[in-house]
Amino acid sequence: MQVVREHRDDLIVRVRILSAVVTGIMIVIATGFWFVQLVQGSYYRELAENNRLRKMPIKAPRGLIYDRTGRLLVENIPSYALMIDRSRAPHHLDQSLAFAAEILGRPVEELQDVMDRYQGTPVFQPVLLAENLTLGEVSRIGVQGLEHPEFEVEVQHLRLYRHGGQTASVLGYLGEVTQDEVERADGHYLPGDLVGKKGIEQTYDPVLRGRDGERVVVVDSRGELLEEYGRKPAIPGKNLTLSLDLDLQQEAARQLDGPEKVGAIVAMDPHTGEILAMVSSPSYNPNIFSRRLQRSDWQALLDDPNHPLQNRVIQNTYSPGSTFKIVMATAGLTERVVDPHSRAFCTGAATFYGRSFRCWKKGGHGSVEAETAIKGSCDVYFYGVGQRLGIDRIAKYARLFGLGEPTGIDIHGEKRGLVPDMAWSLKARKMPWYPGETISVSIGQGPILMTPVQMAVLTSMVANGGYRVTPHLVRDAKVQAPVRVPLDPDAIEIVHKGMWDVVNDPSGTAYAAHVPGADVAGKTGTVQVIAQAQRLTAKALPFKYRDHAWFTSFAPVKDPKIVVVVFAEHGGSGAHTAAPIAQALYAKYFKVDLHPAAR
Amino acid sequence: MQNISKSISIQPLAEERPHPLRHLSSIDLGLALSAFLLAAIGLATVHSASSEMPVDYFPRQFGWVGIGLALLIIVMSIDYHVLLDLSVMMYLAGIVSLIAVFFVGVQRGGAVNWIQIGPWQFQPSEFAKLATALFIARYLASLNMRVLELRQIILALAILGLPVILVAIEPDMGGALMTMPLIGMILVAGIRMRLLVTATVIALVLGAGVWTFGMHGYQKQRVLTFLNPERDPLGAGYQVRQSKIAVGSGQLTGKGYMQGTQSQLRFLPARHTDFILSVLAEEWGFAGVLTVLSLYALYITSAARIAMRARDRAGIFLVVGLVSVTCFHVLYNSAMVVGFMPITGIPLPFLSYGGSFTMVNFISTGIILGVDMRRYVNR
Repeated sequence: MQVVREHRDDLIVRVRILSAVVTGIMIVIATGFWFVQLVQGSYYRELAENNRLRKMPIKAPRGLIYDRTGRLLVENIPSYALMIDRSRAPHHLDQSLAFAAEILGRPVEELQDVMDRYQGTPVFQPVLLAENLTLGEVSRIGVQGLEHPEFEVEVQHLRLYRHGGQTASVLGYLGEVTQDEVERADGHYLPGDLVGKKGIEQTYDPVLRGRDGERVVVVDSRGELLEEYGRKPAIPGKNLTLSLDLDLQQEAARQLDGPEKVGAIVAMDPHTGEILAMVSSPSYNPNIFSRRLQRSDWQALLDDPNHPLQNRVIQNTYSPGSTFKIVMATAGLTERVVDPHSRAFCTGAATFYGRSFRCWKKGGHGSVEAETAIKGSCDVYFYGVGQRLGIDRIAKYARLFGLGEPTGIDIHGEKRGLVPDMAWSLKARKMPWYPGETISVSIGQGPILMTPVQMAVLTSMVANGGYRVTPHLVRDAKVQAPVRVPLDPDAIEIVHKGMWDVVNDPSGTAYAAHVPGADVAGKTGTVQVIAQAQRLTAKALPFKYRDHAWFTSFAPVKDPKIVVVVFAEHGGSGAHTAAPIAQALYAKYFKVDLHPAAR
Repeated sequence: MQNISKSISIQPLAEERPHPLRHLSSIDLGLALSAFLLAAIGLATVHSASSEMPVDYFPRQFGWVGIGLALLIIVMSIDYHVLLDLSVMMYLAGIVSLIAVFFVGVQRGGAVNWIQIGPWQFQPSEFAKLATALFIARYLASLNMRVLELRQIILALAILGLPVILVAIEPDMGGALMTMPLIGMILVAGIRMRLLVTATVIALVLGAGVWTFGMHGYQKQRVLTFLNPERDPLGAGYQVRQSKIAVGSGQLTGKGYMQGTQSQLRFLPARHTDFILSVLAEEWGFAGVLTVLSLYALYITSAARIAMRARDRAGIFLVVGLVSVTCFHVLYNSAMVVGFMPITGIPLPFLSYGGSFTMVNFISTGIILGVDMRRYVNR
C-alpha cells in the first residue's frame, strides 16, 4: 500500500502558496494598523481624549398610575444631582471641592469622604457628589460652569407616591436593579437602573418603564456640546389605570392604621374580579425607596416583628376558621348529604370517633338547619356535615372555590395555601389522615390554609352564583375570563340567606355590623392561635396569643356590587373586630351615615 | 466508506513506538508557545475589557482556558486516525445539534444559536465547524488524485454546505462565514485553474443573489454601514467609528493597561468578545498589535510547517483544514477592528471571551500537535 507519498509534493507546494497568501494578507492588515495608529494616531488620540463623541442616555419617563376615577396615585418629580468628572478639573481637585462645598453649604471634608469612596475608579468616570440640589444651587453651578467644566448637573426623576403607605401594598416600590437581574435581562437593564421591586411597579415594569433612548453628541474638550451626531428618542412608559377606588382604599388603610392593627383588607367587584381596595397592615412608606435608601430605614423595615414588607393579602396564609362554613354548606347541599331542612341538635358539644368536639357557644344552638347553622355559626351542625362528606370531598369543593392554588392576581409573590386531603397527608406528612381531623377542618381549623385574596374569590363565587373570577388591579389587565363552577344554585341560595341573617338578624353573629340600606351578607370567623383551656376575653391575653379574626361579606345581597374581606391578625373575634371594619367600608362605599344621631 | 486508518496508514509494529514520552519531546514549540501566550494575553485583556461591566469575565475565561488546556492534552494523545474514523459520527452529531437549535435553542442577539443543557450553554456551530473539518479531511485523504475531479469537489462542497446553510438560517452570517475557510483544504487538494475561475464567477453571481433576496434587513444594514459609516451613527457605524478611535488613539505604545478611555468608558461594544483587539490596540498601541499579530503568524507558519512534514495525506488535510479556520478568524477579526471589513460576529481565537470558542481553539491546536507528534512513525 504505497499510496502515502503519492502526490505529496503537489500538496506541499500548495500549502506553501496558501501560507504565503495568508502572510501577505497579514502584512496588509498590519499596515492598516500602522496607518490608523501611527499615521492617523494623533487625530484619533485627540478624538478619544476630548471624548468628542459622547453617548448620552435619554431616560424614558416612567408611566404614571391612576385610580379608577382618574386620580393620580404616582407621579415623577424632577431632582437634581451634582456629578463631577475628575479628569476635567482645571486645577487641583481640592479647589473643585471647595467650590462645591461653598455652593452646597456643606463642609469640604464631607465631600472629600464621598470622593474617597471612588478612589479606585477611572478618573474619567463621573462621580455622584450630591443629590437633591435646590434650584438655587443648580443655577449657581450653571453660572460658574465655565470656570468649572468638571461639574455637571444631572436631572433625575424620582417616583412620588402621593398616598404613601396607604397604597404601598398595591403599588410596591422601585429599587436599584440587582446584578442578577442585569444578567438575566440580557441588555434590557443597565447597572444603576431603577426597576419595580414589588406590586404593580414590579408586575408592570416592562409597560411602565418604556425604552430609554440615547443621543450621540460631539462635544469640545470642555464638554460643551458642539453638535448632535445622532439621536434615538426615548419611548415613554405607558400610564396605567387601576381598578382601585382611592376613597375606599384610604378608608381601608385608616381602619388598619395604628398599633396592634395587623391584618389585611380586600374589596373586590364580584363579577369582574376588579380590586377596589387592597391593604396590608402594617404598611411602609414607599417614598423612602425613591431617594437613596438610608441603611437605618431599611434595617427598621427588616427588624419590624410584623414584617411590613410582606403583603398579607397575597403572601400570608391563615386558617379560614368559621368562614369555611360557606364552603361546607355549599358542599353538603350540592352533594345532598344534607337537605335544606335536615336538622341537627346542638347541645354545645358532640362526640365523634370517641372524642368530644365543642361548639363555640357553650349552651348550644338547639335545633338548627342549614340556614340557621350559618347564621349562628353552629360548629356541631358542620361537624356532622363534615363527617358525612369526608375529607376528600371537602377538599374537592375547597378547590372548586379556588383554594390551594394562586388566584392569578396581577402582582407577584402570591401563596397557594393548602387544601389537605388523604393523598396530601400520605405524601407530605407520611402518615394517614385521621377522621378526627376532618371534624376540625369542617369548621376551618386544622391544616387548611388560605390567603385573604383567596377568601375574596371564594366569597365572590357565592355572590355571583358560582363564577370563579381572577382578581386584578389594572383595569384592562389581560386575565382569564370568569369560569363557571358546577355548584348547585339552590345550595348557593341557602348560603346567601344564611349569610344575610348573620348580619341582619338580631341573633346573627355579626348583627352589630349591619349597614342600614346596604343589605350586607357576611360570615365571621375566629381562628384559635393557642388552645384555650379557659376562655379569656381578647383584651386579657398578650397580643401575639390572641385569636385571628375574619369577616368576609358582600352587598347588596340581591345584586352584589362589592365583596369585602377583612382579616385582623390577633384581632380577637371576627364579630367584634373584623366585622365593624367591613361595616365602615360599606358605609363609605354606599355613602351611608352610620351615626346620624351623633351629628 | 473504507476505514482510513487501515487503508492509508501502515500499521506500525508494536516496538516501533516504545515510549509515549518520545512523542512529547517532538511537540512543536512554536505552535504550543504561541497558543499559550495568546491565551495569556487574552485573559489579561478580557479582564481589562470587562472591568467596567456588571460582570468580570476574567474568572470564567480562566476556567475555559483551563478546560481548553486539558482538552488539548487529551486530544493530542489520541491518534488522529482514530479521530478521522470517528469524524462521520461527529459530523452527523454536529448536524443533529444544529437542527436541534431550531427547536430548543436560546436566542441571543438576533440569532438562535445556543443550546442550553442544565446550567451550560454552548454553541453547536463551533463544534460543527470542527467536525466538518475532520470529515472533509477524511474524505480528501481517501482520494488519491493529483487534481480533484468536479464530482469530488461537488461532494466535498456538499459536506461543507450542509452545516453552513443550517448556521446561516439561524440566522448567524458570522457563524456561516467561519465555515467557509475549509475551502482552503479543497484548494490544497488541487483544483483546475479553469474551474477555479468559473467557480469564482458563479460565487459572485450567487452573492449578488443572496444580497438581493436572502439577507435580513439588519445584515444588509451592516454591510451598507460598513461602506458608509455615517449612515447609521448609533448602530454599526458607531461601532466601527468607536473601534477606530480606540485603535488609533493607542498610537505606538498605547495608554497603558486598564487605562483605555474608549473601552473603560463603555464606548466600545462587545469589547470582551468581537472587539477585544480594539481594547488591546488602545491600551498597548501598535507595539501590542504587532506582538499579537506576530504570535498569530508564528502559530500559522508553525501549523503550515507541521502540515508539510505530516506523515500522510490525512495529516496534511487535517492540519490545513484546522489552521485555515483559525486563519480566517484572525484575518477577518483584525481587518474588521481596523475598519477593513464589515462588522459580523467573528471572534479572535484565544483572545476573545467565549466558552465553546475557546475550547474549540484548544482542541484544534491539540489535534495539530497530535499530527506532528506522530510524524516519525512512518519515516
